[in-house]
Amino acid sequence: MSLLSILIFLPLFAGLIIVVLPSSVREGYKYVALAAVIIQVLISAYIYLHFNGNVFTGIADQNKYQLVERLPWISLNLGAMGKLQIDYFLGLDGLSMPFMLLTSVVMLVALLASWEIKINLKGYFALFLLLDTAILGVFSALDFFLFYIFYELMLMPLYFLIGIWGGVRREYAAIKFFLYTLFGSVFMLLVIIGLYFSVTDPATGYHTFNMLSMMDPKNYVEGSIFSALAHNELFGVSARLLGFIVLFIAFAIKVPIVPLHTWLPDAHVEAPTPVSIILAGILLKVGGYGILRVCVSIFPDAAIQSAWWLGLIGIVSIIYGALNALAQTDLKRLVAYSSISHMGFVLLGIASITPEGISGAMMQMISHGFLSSMLFFLVGIIYSRVHDREIPHFRGLALIMPKFSAFIMIAFFASLGLPGFSAFIAEAFSLIGAFNSESINGLLPRWMAVCGTLGILLSACYFLWTLQRMFFGETRLFGGEKWKIQLTDVNAREVTALCILTAFALVLGIMPSLAFDKMNASVLELIRLVNLK
Amino acid sequence: MSALITITILALLLLYLGLFKAKKALLPVALIGLMVALVLSLMEWDSNAAPIFSNMMLYDRFAVAFSGITIFLTILIIALSKDYFERISSNVAEYYALILFSLAGIILMVSYHNLSMLFIGIEIMSVSLYILAGIKKRDFASNEAALKYFLMGAFSTGILLFGVTLIYGASGSFDLEGIKQYILKDPTAVSPLLYTGITLLIVGLSFKVGAAPFHFWVPDVYEGSPSLISAYMSTVVKVAGFAAFLRLIMFSFAPLQDFWIPMIIGMSVLSLLIGNVTAVYQQHFKRMLAYSSISHVGYMLFAIIALNGSSDNAVFVYAAAYSVATIIAFGVLILLQGQVGNDSFDSFNGLARKNPFLALTLTIAMLSLAGIPLTAGFIGKFMMFSKALSSYHIFLVVFAALNAMIGIFYYFKVIVAMYFKEEDRKELIVPVYFKLVLGFSALVTIALGVYPDFIASLI
Amino acid sequence: MEVQSLPVDYLPILFQMLVALGFVVLTMTITHLIGPKRKTADKLSPFEAGIEVVGNARTPVSIKYFLVAILFVLFDIEVIFMYPWAVNFREFGVEGLIEMFIFMATLLLGYIYVIKKKAIEWGD
Repeated sequence: MSLLSILIFLPLFAGLIIVVLPSSVREGYKYVALAAVIIQVLISAYIYLHFNGNVFTGIADQNKYQLVERLPWISLNLGAMGKLQIDYFLGLDGLSMPFMLLTSVVMLVALLASWEIKINLKGYFALFLLLDTAILGVFSALDFFLFYIFYELMLMPLYFLIGIWGGVRREYAAIKFFLYTLFGSVFMLLVIIGLYFSVTDPATGYHTFNMLSMMDPKNYVEGSIFSALAHNELFGVSARLLGFIVLFIAFAIKVPIVPLHTWLPDAHVEAPTPVSIILAGILLKVGGYGILRVCVSIFPDAAIQSAWWLGLIGIVSIIYGALNALAQTDLKRLVAYSSISHMGFVLLGIASITPEGISGAMMQMISHGFLSSMLFFLVGIIYSRVHDREIPHFRGLALIMPKFSAFIMIAFFASLGLPGFSAFIAEAFSLIGAFNSESINGLLPRWMAVCGTLGILLSACYFLWTLQRMFFGETRLFGGEKWKIQLTDVNAREVTALCILTAFALVLGIMPSLAFDKMNASVLELIRLVNLK
Repeated sequence: MSALITITILALLLLYLGLFKAKKALLPVALIGLMVALVLSLMEWDSNAAPIFSNMMLYDRFAVAFSGITIFLTILIIALSKDYFERISSNVAEYYALILFSLAGIILMVSYHNLSMLFIGIEIMSVSLYILAGIKKRDFASNEAALKYFLMGAFSTGILLFGVTLIYGASGSFDLEGIKQYILKDPTAVSPLLYTGITLLIVGLSFKVGAAPFHFWVPDVYEGSPSLISAYMSTVVKVAGFAAFLRLIMFSFAPLQDFWIPMIIGMSVLSLLIGNVTAVYQQHFKRMLAYSSISHVGYMLFAIIALNGSSDNAVFVYAAAYSVATIIAFGVLILLQGQVGNDSFDSFNGLARKNPFLALTLTIAMLSLAGIPLTAGFIGKFMMFSKALSSYHIFLVVFAALNAMIGIFYYFKVIVAMYFKEEDRKELIVPVYFKLVLGFSALVTIALGVYPDFIASLI
Repeated sequence: MEVQSLPVDYLPILFQMLVALGFVVLTMTITHLIGPKRKTADKLSPFEAGIEVVGNARTPVSIKYFLVAILFVLFDIEVIFMYPWAVNFREFGVEGLIEMFIFMATLLLGYIYVIKKKAIEWGD
């Protein structure tokens, strides 16, 4: 059992312990969970420190992955179709390794936010840890079937976490979230099966779910449905393009892109704070990671073909999300829409298929992981105090919650791309990639980059306006004196969580090389793979 | 073969136990006897089995696997019958005996090598079931179910028999091998009688498995029958009917694919559509299960559409997954009906708080039926989808995938009611037998989902 | 099958059916036409064995009649199996004898069950 498996199944194990523990020690559940997550952070930090970004470039070569673990898992005899070979296949490269660390840290923060959860603790922490396992699994799985299993496994705990511990309309939000994601993934499954029938493992000759084999056009069976040479058509569209589109939609729902984003505000508003943190901090990144790892790598030709549209969708998401955020009166909704806007940069960066753009997209995902977690954590603090988060109900919070206001200013400025914070680097790189794309590979026109810049401007608008409305001026609160007493400043636990996130945002902003060094080689390798076509 | 004899003797034994007032012994004897039958049947695992009794039966791997699963499922269901029949009337021994007689018919149905054996098997099974559906004599719904089932069953048997005679008329043989040889001799010039015969056989068997458009009796019969019998009908009987269907087509009619595939595709599409869409509108759990069982037939038909050497495996896995999950659902339903007296979705409200174990097992069952990964149901659906895709039925699979989405919607109604809706309610009392069956079935569901190698390459 | 049958071979059957049907229809029509018609109240009323009819014809009958009838049919049909066995007694040999004994034992078990259940007792 490698370090990676331990990392993945440690939370599951802790979850089982919680399930078995008697309910007389219910106050102890969170400490069990905390212990597991802290160990997880330590392991992923160890992995980060020992990851050699220049050697382990990953992408299409198994030998270039670190911590590879490959065990046969399911093998079914399918008669004439040969053998169904599914491996338990894990590994890390520059694209996935940063997310392991991100997941661990965001999970730690989410767990610190879970102190507010009061009902049904056993179920909550068990599901929380199951979710943790699933997410770590998604980021490290290299077998497409395994990837799918982990991907789907994320849904169930989230569904229950939103549905049981959520707000008033939790039932609606939970099923909407579930159906949206499942809609994408059911069709993803069909493409996976199609790919399976098209690809053979060069070593054994059997059909395989190995993602790395799928990236090599040589492994495709002659004339098979997704073979690049066969130019098959399905429903009048090139089969490979169709496969790409289906996979893209599946992940794009997660990102989310406009117009498939409508589950996100609902889910965020109804979800409890820790779940919002996980949703925004990690789950949206699963979408971006999936597009890079699966869509672009397996269907590079289709990716180039549809790059323009990807870029357009990115721009639309940036602008539409930002405009919507401007119009919100619910603070949590505002943050949710700002997430949509920021994730648009990820798509824009990926669409450019330039080293700068993809690095920027990766960086944006990481930075947004920390910053959106921070934003949702901060919103959660207000909500847990007075159970209200309407922006007009608050004014002059800076006077009664100075420390809290300081953190929110950091979070807002960092999010709107103030130099010195990670978001600046990320958005700058994405935009540079999009801008250079016309001269490097001619995929994206320059005006897209210009429109993207407009998004940064808009984000400044809504963040600063909110800051002005809620925190400056004289203290006037909807709930009057009662609220004034309830709105205590941040406590030690909250400060810990916020400081962790601030530190990450700041460090990555000042020394982006800490992240870039680890992933640069992989990004270049990915681009080399795409340009082979 | 010895399993068949054991089951028949066991049924007679139970009848006599009932005569001599040994009611306490009925359930244990039935369970032990069935376990013996299961072991005996698995001991005949032999890949080179030859037809026996003048080519009447063939106890090959297919037969062993399917009789194994049907006996296994019957054990689970009978274990749920503790105190169930006593509440209906005092003729408990007869009920057990009837279930076992129908199981004997089922063993015939999965191991026949001659169409007359198929017919006899179906009749033995059906006649027992007609009675079992109506054992609640004072209940109008139960009476209606029994009568409806009898009329529809008799009707379909007639059609089936007509098909058999036509096939005999064309090929001059009741023997599966003989029919196959006749077709293989010149597949392009078979008698038109044979085509009619195949059509009628397919129609007759579709009645038995409840595939649309021959599904009308399913909701009423499943709803009206006593829940335990519904559980038996929607799992064991359905699996057996499907196995008989598959055996017939795999053995004899495979060369005439072009003729019957369009029919099966039509039935599959209709079953999926009708089953899923109608299930969404149901307010009662039991009726929902009935419609969902129709939709699952639609998925199982995929294995016949993409017929090849591994179809039996796919059906086996799917049927096992579906049946085990359905047994959990019916187990909870029996408890609920017995103690609340209602099975509308509202009566599940707040169950998670009072009976976390029941809620958890039912959730696992629903997830499995909906085909969520890491449950057995997902592996089943996955195998079906990959089979259909491997023969390029892309439209069909896309359609099925859409239907799977609809399925989520109604299966989750129960989960929503149990977990998300609060209500003051009394805790349901869960007898030990129920705990064992539900817990075991849930474990099986998860185990198959995580590591399907156990059963997936059996046949 | 070697013997091919053509539609024309079924012609005699058709003829026989026509003749049979024709005979029935013809005789009924003719008696109806040429027979004398005298209608009286007594002749038109339903009668049975000279006794006047009382009440509804569809009164419930004790299930026992039905039960006995069914049991009779069952055991009667089983006897049919014994004829072919008796005819081929020599060919079947000892094995056939054992099989027949098993068959008879099963029947006997059923019979004992029926008696024990008091299915053929008239009682109350």
